[in-house]
Formats: sequence, structure tokens, C-alpha cells
Amino acid sequence: MSESVISVSELTRRFGATTALDSVSVSLPHGAVYGLVGANGAGKTTLIRHILGLLRAESGSVRVFGLDPVADPVAVLSRIGYLSEENDLPGWMRVDELIRYTSAFYPKWDDAYAEELQRAFALDPAAKIKDLSRGQKARAGLLIALAHRPELLVLDEPSSGLDPIVRRDILGAVIRTIADEGRTVLFSSHLLDEVEQVADHVTMISHGRIVLSAPLDAIKESHRSLNEAFIAHVGSAATPAAEA
Amino acid sequence: MRSPALAIGWEFRRRHRWGLIAVAGYLFAVAAIRFLILEPGEPVLVDSVRFAAVVSVPLTTTFVYLLAVFSFGFSGDLAARHSMYPARMFTLPVTNAALVGWPMLYGTAAMAILWLAARLFAVWPSGIEIPLIWPALLAAALLAWTQALTWMPYGLPGIRLIVAVLCLAALDTVVLLAIHFKAGEPRMVAILAPQVPLAYLVARFAVARARRGEVPDWRGVFGRLASNAVRTRRRDHFPSPARAQAWFEWRRHGLSLPALVGLLLPFELALLWLAKDAPAFVFEILFLALITPPFMAAFTAWTVSQPNPQVRDSYGVPPFIATRPLTSAELIAAKLKMAMWSTLAAWLLVLVAMPLALEWSGTWSVVTERARHMNDAIGTPRAATVVLLMLAGFIVATWKQLVQSLHIGLTGREWIVKGSVLLTLTFLILLGPIVEWIIDSPSVQRALWNALPLILAGLVGLKMSAAAWIATRLDRNRLLGDRALVAGAACWVLAVFALYGVLVWFFSTPFVAHYLLALIAILAVPLARISAAPLALAWNRHR
Repeated sequence: MSESVISVSELTRRFGATTALDSVSVSLPHGAVYGLVGANGAGKTTLIRHILGLLRAESGSVRVFGLDPVADPVAVLSRIGYLSEENDLPGWMRVDELIRYTSAFYPKWDDAYAEELQRAFALDPAAKIKDLSRGQKARAGLLIALAHRPELLVLDEPSSGLDPIVRRDILGAVIRTIADEGRTVLFSSHLLDEVEQVADHVTMISHGRIVLSAPLDAIKESHRSLNEAFIAHVGSAATPAAEA
Repeated sequence: MRSPALAIGWEFRRRHRWGLIAVAGYLFAVAAIRFLILEPGEPVLVDSVRFAAVVSVPLTTTFVYLLAVFSFGFSGDLAARHSMYPARMFTLPVTNAALVGWPMLYGTAAMAILWLAARLFAVWPSGIEIPLIWPALLAAALLAWTQALTWMPYGLPGIRLIVAVLCLAALDTVVLLAIHFKAGEPRMVAILAPQVPLAYLVARFAVARARRGEVPDWRGVFGRLASNAVRTRRRDHFPSPARAQAWFEWRRHGLSLPALVGLLLPFELALLWLAKDAPAFVFEILFLALITPPFMAAFTAWTVSQPNPQVRDSYGVPPFIATRPLTSAELIAAKLKMAMWSTLAAWLLVLVAMPLALEWSGTWSVVTERARHMNDAIGTPRAATVVLLMLAGFIVATWKQLVQSLHIGLTGREWIVKGSVLLTLTFLILLGPIVEWIIDSPSVQRALWNALPLILAGLVGLKMSAAAWIATRLDRNRLLGDRALVAGAACWVLAVFALYGVLVWFFSTPFVAHYLLALIAILAVPLARISAAPLALAWNRHR
């Protein structure tokens, strides 16, 4: 394996009396799809926010592409595509304005790919973001996360915004394409079926601690299914995809 | 809590408890002044400044606050097409009459109580007859109409504001005309009393439509035009990330100040038509128009320094902005650039509208006459410098107002933002009495004048210490490179020297020492607060 894309070491984060992350250590090498699994409030988004540099490590360290994302946000963020769980795209922008604005930040922005994604996602360039449905907003967010062909794609709970068709037909294909091109995908989810479909490697997090981190094949060998592994390590059943 | 009336009332009380407690505290304080401090029957000689500080300003502020509270103005989007009535309440198992009636009843009652309490408890100047009933009715009517007009769904974004301003101004005009023609209290009551039931009917219609999801859409034509424009005009890429971010800031905040100035200016300059025969009044109107941009900038600055105005109660930087591959200093630079363009746009409006209004109103000659006097008194170069300096001063003050609170708002810490607002309000409340005390006390004036160099030197020391600390932090946190820091410092020094040069040339008198002018120039050119903005943003962005 080559040098790690993400290297988190002994990361602890507290919000008041709550320990959101407790001595978390993870290392993600290049060119694979990593599923970060955990119940709501387990610490998935907190870990992702540290990786993006939105939270400063209180103790321990976070390195992305070998760099500190807080000290060097430009070098790190220009190589990451990020789809936020919050879906906070500016409502006043039109879709074409969002694409034009976002493209300015990424030297590797691919206009042809952006147009292809816009057509695939059926996004009207003249439509205002605030007039889009929740699913369409998530598609627009995914478009700007993908169109600069990032070295690392971070998807925070993509299932919470994307509609089932995009999740089933498009997201999986996109994720596989990125991984096949040697790039890396980190996506968090509480839907085990979804993770099982696309992930090469699964990291389970519970109450701020990493309880299991292993290749999916190895997990399936030791347990009958990902769900069984989750129950064994976390102690409660995760949400089936159909309920999400 | 078994009734919808109690539940709706509880929501207002719970959500705005601190504001309502402050209003009650204010009324209690003015009542204490009247009944515990003043002797019964003692004539009250209150000057306009004291009256404004104790009654007019707090009363107007409370009135506006209650308007916002009871029309759900703190949570709604004034510019949106859909109703400002909270959609979450549409699913409550209550009738439209209850949804409209209870907030309107609570609001109108609060307005009436506010006036009656102020009328009965506050200290009013002796010898002036203050009406009791109709102002309470006017306040209630204004609230009821505000509720009706803001809860109405509209076909186009932004129409709500225009309709509300026009309707409320029409109601005000009727009242002003009635006052002009010396209408008595019964007639005023007859005019105002039907307003609340009328507004209730309109509000009920509005909420019923909004509840059914009937939001008219007149954007078809504009939408098609926009769509065609998008298809035919492919915009080029931004030349740099910095330009893209400046465009983003301009689109988000840039037009707010010019729009506010553009809304107020016609009303202010229209007064010139009434001032043809009163030259002094002409200059008061012009001064009013000139202070409008910096004054309105102080209000606009609140949204500029709010990282995430779309999300209520959120002071943090939204992930969409926080994950832009830009440094915090570059994000601030875009805000500063936007503020500059916004300032220039607002002043362009003023500088175009003012001569036109003077010319069309026939008051241009009053201004040229005064300019000729000034020219004769101090000479053309000095007269031109005075005018240009004043203009530059107003423009810089507008820009400064827009950006000087960035270092507070962008920290993302609620306690800092609210603490700063509290400190500012306290300072403003204390300022009037302190200024008056100084004006009334020649000994204090002498002491202050003698200590002026020391005071200025102390302020300069404070400013430079803060700037040095901020520069160290900017360097240590790698928010600004060495070259940028040196270039920024050099620009600041140049600006200080330029201002010092102008001041020395202008005040060429032995009565003003040059070192005083140097201290004033150092204090006048912004440095510490603007330099602190990237630190504040970085503290918020990387929590």
C-alpha cells in the first residue's frame, strides 16, 4: 500500500461533558472506498469535520495528504470533494452560477464532466437552488463535489439527502469509477446495506471509539453479514436501508 | 396547557422572554423615575436630548421589536414569496381564525399596553398635551397591518417589503393629515378603530391561502427570460478564486446597502420641495441625506458579519464556505472588497440623486450661494479641500461601518456577539448624559482639553499594542504571509501620512500642535479591528 491519504492518530474531542471522539486512530491508504458506519451521534460527522479542518484537534493529530488541514486548508481542501450532510448550498444561486462559482476554486475542474453530471442529474441550469427539492439539492451538491475529479471524495451521510434512484443507480457507479481511477472515497452512513454494496473497507464507530476497522471481505468471513458484525461490535441493530 | 390560545401565547413568552423582560424593566424604570424620584405636581422641564434618550428612542425601539415579535419577523424571510407565518403551525389542529386571532390579539394588546404604560408612567415635558387613546390604537393598527401584509403570500420575491412599506406609509399619512387638520381624539379613534378588524380579515385570508399552499407565481415571464438568458449567454469562468469569492459576497450582501439608501433617499430629498424658502432647512436635509449611507451601513454590517444568516441561531461558518479552498484572510479580503463596492454604489446613488433633487426643487441656488460665501471666506483650494475631505470622510465612514464589526460577528461565539451588542447599547445610552455633563461643566471641559494629548496618546498606544498582538497572531497562525503583513503595514503608514499631510495643510495655525494631528491621523485610519477579522474567522472556521 502507498502513503496514507488520511492519517488520524489518537484523536480525542469533547463538547462540554460529551466525548464525541475518544482516542480515535485511523489510516486510509490511496485508492479504495471506505465506509464509516455508526449509529446517529456515534461521532462520524465529528471525525469528518476534523478531516476537513472544520474542527481543530484538541489532542492527537490529523493529517490529510500528509498535511494539517487546519494549518494548510487551501492545499488540503483543493484536493477534496465534499458532500455535506447539512446540504447548505446557497439558496439564492442558480445551478449554473453554483457551477461557475465552484469551478473557480479548482484548477482541475472538468467542464465536460460537469455538463455530463448536470444532464445525468437532470438539473436545470436556470433553476434557483432554493427552488430545488431536497434530492435535487443533494444532486447539485454531489455535482460540485465530483466535477473537479478530487483525489479524495468525502460524503457525509449521502443517503440522508439523495433519493433512492440516485443512490442506487448513480452514487454506486460514481464511487466505483473514482475508486477504479485510483482515487479515494470516504463515506459515512448508518445504512449497512448501502455500505455493503460499495465499500472495500469498513470502519465502525460507536460512542466516539473505533470498534472495528477491517476490509469488508474479512468482516464477511468472520461474520455472516455486516449487520451481524455491527450487532456484535456495537450492540444494537443498524438501520436497514429500506427504513431510511 | 390545554388551549391553543395558551400554547400560542406561551410560545411568544418563552421565545422572547429576555426581550419582554427588558421591556418590562424599562417601563418599571421610567415609572420609578416618575413616581419615586419626582415630586407630585412638580413641573417637568425636559430637553429634547434627554427626552429622546429616556423616552423616544427606547419607545420606538420597543415598538419595532414588538412588530418583529408578533409578526414572526425574527424567523421569517421578508424577501421570500411564501407567507412569513411559520409553516410548522399550519399543521396544528386549530382554525385559521385561531391561528390569526391569537397572535393578533396578543400583539395589539402588547402595543396598546406599551403606549398606555409609556403615556402614564414616563416623564413627559410639562405643557404639552399628550393624547391617551388614539396613539395606542395607531400602534395596534400598525401591528395588525404588518401581520396581515407579512403573512400574505406574494407572486414575486421582494414584493412583500414594497407592499408593506406603501400600506403602512399610507396609514401614517392619513394620521399625519388628521393631525395637520387638528382632528380631535374621537375623530382619530373613528379613523383608527376599524383598522384592526379590517387587518384581521386580510390576515385571515392570507393565512388561509398560505395554509392551502396557494402561493401565486408571477415569475413565469421572468423565469423564461432568465432561462433564455442562461441558454444564450454562457458566462466565462472567474479569473481567480478571489474574484469568485468577491462575486459571492457581492451577490449575498452587496446590494443591501444601496437598496436601503435608495429606499430612504427619495423621501429625504422630497423634503427639499418644502424647504424652498428656508435655507437652513435645505442644509439640514442635505446633511440627513449625507449621513444616510453610514447610518444604514451600521445596520447592514450586522448581516455582513454574520457568517450564516440563512440559518437561525447559527453563528458558525456554514460547511459550504468553510470548505472553500481559500485562506481565512482571502475570505475576509472578499468581504472587504464587497464592502468597498457596496459603499461606492450607495454613494453613487447619493451623488446622482442629490444634485438632481436640488435642481428640480429649485434649491440649487441656496447651495451655490453658500459655496460662494465659503469660497470668499477661505479661498478656493481650502473650500474645495473641505468639500472633498467631508465627502471622503463620509465615504470612508460608510465603508468602516460595514467592516468594523467583522471581528466580532465572525468569531461565531454567541456570548461575544451578544456581549458586544450589550456594551454598544450601554455606551450609546450613557453617551448622551456624559456629553451633556461635559457641555454643562466648563471645569470638566478645561480638564479634558488639558488632558487631550494624554488621552489621544493612550488611545494610540492601545491601538498599536492591539495591532502588534494581532500581527503576531496572524503570522504565528500562518493566516497572512510576511509579505502581506509588510505590505498591509506599509499601506496603513502611507494612509496615515497622507491624512496627516492634509490635516497639517488645512489646520495651519499655531493653536493646534502637529503632534496632535499625527495622533488623530493614526487613530482615524482603521487598523486593529480590520486586521483582527481573519483571526476571528479562523477561530470560527477551525473550531
